[in-house]
Amino acid sequence: MSLDSPRRRFEDIDWEAKRGIVLRRQTAGFLTTLAALALVFAFDYVREAPLFSPNPVLRDGWDLSQLDWLFVVSLALFVFYVLVPLATHRRMTAHYWREFRKNRAAVVSLGFLLLVFTLGLVGPLLVSKPQVELTQSYQPPVGLAVDSSVPLSCGGDVVDGRCHGSWQFPLGTTGDGKDILSLVVLGMRVSIRIGLITSFLIISIGATVGTVAAYVGGLVDEVLMRYVDIQQVFPSFLLYLLLIYLFGGSLLMFILVFGLLSWGGTARLVRSAALQRSEDEYVEVARCAGAGTGHVIRRHILPNVSGTVITNLTLLIPGLILFEAGLAFLSLGDPTIPSWGQTIAAGRSDLRTAWWISTVPGVFLFLTILAFNFVGDALRNALDPRSEGQR
Amino acid sequence: MRWYVARRLLWAVVATFVILSITWALLYVTEQQALTSIQFQAAVSGGDAEAARAAYEQQRGLDRPLWRQYADYMTNMATFNWGYSTSRGQPVTAAIADALPYTMMYSVPWTILTVAFGLSIGLYSATHQYSRFDYAATFLAFFGYAIPNFWFGIVLLVLFGVHLDLVPIVFDPDAPVFSLANARQLVLPVFVLTTGSIASLTRYTRAEALEYVEATFTKTAKAKGVSERRILLLHVLRPAAVPLSTILVADLLGLFIASSYLVEVVFGIPGLGQLSFKAIQNQDTPLVLATTLVGVFIAVVGNLLQDIAYTVLDPRIDYGDR
Repeated sequence: MSLDSPRRRFEDIDWEAKRGIVLRRQTAGFLTTLAALALVFAFDYVREAPLFSPNPVLRDGWDLSQLDWLFVVSLALFVFYVLVPLATHRRMTAHYWREFRKNRAAVVSLGFLLLVFTLGLVGPLLVSKPQVELTQSYQPPVGLAVDSSVPLSCGGDVVDGRCHGSWQFPLGTTGDGKDILSLVVLGMRVSIRIGLITSFLIISIGATVGTVAAYVGGLVDEVLMRYVDIQQVFPSFLLYLLLIYLFGGSLLMFILVFGLLSWGGTARLVRSAALQRSEDEYVEVARCAGAGTGHVIRRHILPNVSGTVITNLTLLIPGLILFEAGLAFLSLGDPTIPSWGQTIAAGRSDLRTAWWISTVPGVFLFLTILAFNFVGDALRNALDPRSEGQR
Repeated sequence: MRWYVARRLLWAVVATFVILSITWALLYVTEQQALTSIQFQAAVSGGDAEAARAAYEQQRGLDRPLWRQYADYMTNMATFNWGYSTSRGQPVTAAIADALPYTMMYSVPWTILTVAFGLSIGLYSATHQYSRFDYAATFLAFFGYAIPNFWFGIVLLVLFGVHLDLVPIVFDPDAPVFSLANARQLVLPVFVLTTGSIASLTRYTRAEALEYVEATFTKTAKAKGVSERRILLLHVLRPAAVPLSTILVADLLGLFIASSYLVEVVFGIPGLGQLSFKAIQNQDTPLVLATTLVGVFIAVVGNLLQDIAYTVLDPRIDYGDR
């Protein structure tokens, strides 16, 4: 694997030295970041959230909630365990990229997802929070025209009694005059938060439970897997409905409920893979060389199942994004955060006259889900050669 | 095998029991929260907080000992004594019985169509791998999965209902079940649901069938001159049916529960999903609880059936272990 990192030769190693606990670079980096985050969080908590508040530019839409802390932790995990290994193992990265590139749709999809990710990350800096402005209602998008009786006052040119869209609102406005472009960009925030935080929760819990069940075995295995059984039976959608009914809905609750209840499949996957791999020769060799259970799990089992888990995730995340949009559409989501589903619901009754209000966020939602599927498909072929043919 | 089925049955009962207990605990927590706020309000408005608490506890039966509340709740659940829906003015069980036929009306054709189309498209794709049909099917599967059901529904409703005037916009609950009018108003919901669910079944069928299309026993059968149809049904579909039954239940059930909400709200079908949705809006606790629990029971029974189907379909399964 690590052909690019400098190799220590046999005689370079001080075999007599006591090893103690050796942290690899990325683990150390991740832990340092976590510690720094914990410090900042403690400061923020004790001083009652002074962070960012004096800054009016950052303040708008950047108020740090519990969700944002979770998001930053997930982001750190992503950087240290996906980006850093990719950057250090250049040869493998190039190999994956070559495999991935074969699927042209997937490359385009990856580009789109990167755009969504970046916009979702820095979006609140670029667009202002959409305001209700009734005089600007029902403006059509740029390049399109609508009968001038539809908008209250046309922002663009009026030709032959038809109102043309203007660059002031490139994607038009909703019935209460909100800029659809900013609604769409702010909706991306919701999607990337769902994507990153739930994958963080699912990977950490699922991988831990799966490996522990496989390695400890016996009663622990039985109890954990029976619990997974119950969890898989209980539809998280219904639990979420019950919870928002009883306690009120929020995006944090959505992410926690779905993140904490959808790791069952991942745990089963990791468990069965761990059981299979633990029979493999390289694991036996490692054991003979004196590697402990923890070492075998971390260095041999987890890297081996990571491909399967990541592909599994790229197919799980779009489902969750769709779920959130559906719930927001039913106004069972977080009413304070602008999301795609909300905008679709807002334009539902105006579809005859102002069709773009529902259509624009609908198309973005559709493209995001589609992109995840294409990327997941290509990733499976690139990362997981065992599943050849299982498209 | 009988022992295995009995064990799974027992396990389903245990799972139901655990789920009911969790719901009870959740309800208990919210009741306590409501109690605190009532006490607070009474104290603010100059009343007697203690009296308000006693009155509320009396009314809700919270003055009973905790185990008694739990036992009563469980007994009520087991005897279908699910309470009275204030927003609908009828017992909860009656409300559910009223709504169920509407849900069945679109879910039965939907399930049949999904299984029929999903299996046949998947099988055809597997036997004609990398053909033009295969690519088209893959694209269609992606498209159907990626397009948000509720959005697709409203777009189709505007297109076919408003502009082309082919289907009614408002659902008429009084239309006879087997009539043209009813069929016309159910076409769009069934179509939208089928496009959404056919994708995963097609792709899994294709993947599973591919394993057996290349298998040696299929080649032997072909060499012996067994007909295409017989090979497809007995040598490919039969072994593939085992893993597929899992996907059928797990995927379709999950999709069904969530989609029924969205589709019923979009198309105005007065089924279980809409009943539950309206109950949430009207703060009708017994109805919310009952409609969500019906979904959970459907999931539990579905999983049980899936396990039993497994043992019937796959005689190799080891009953001693999972």
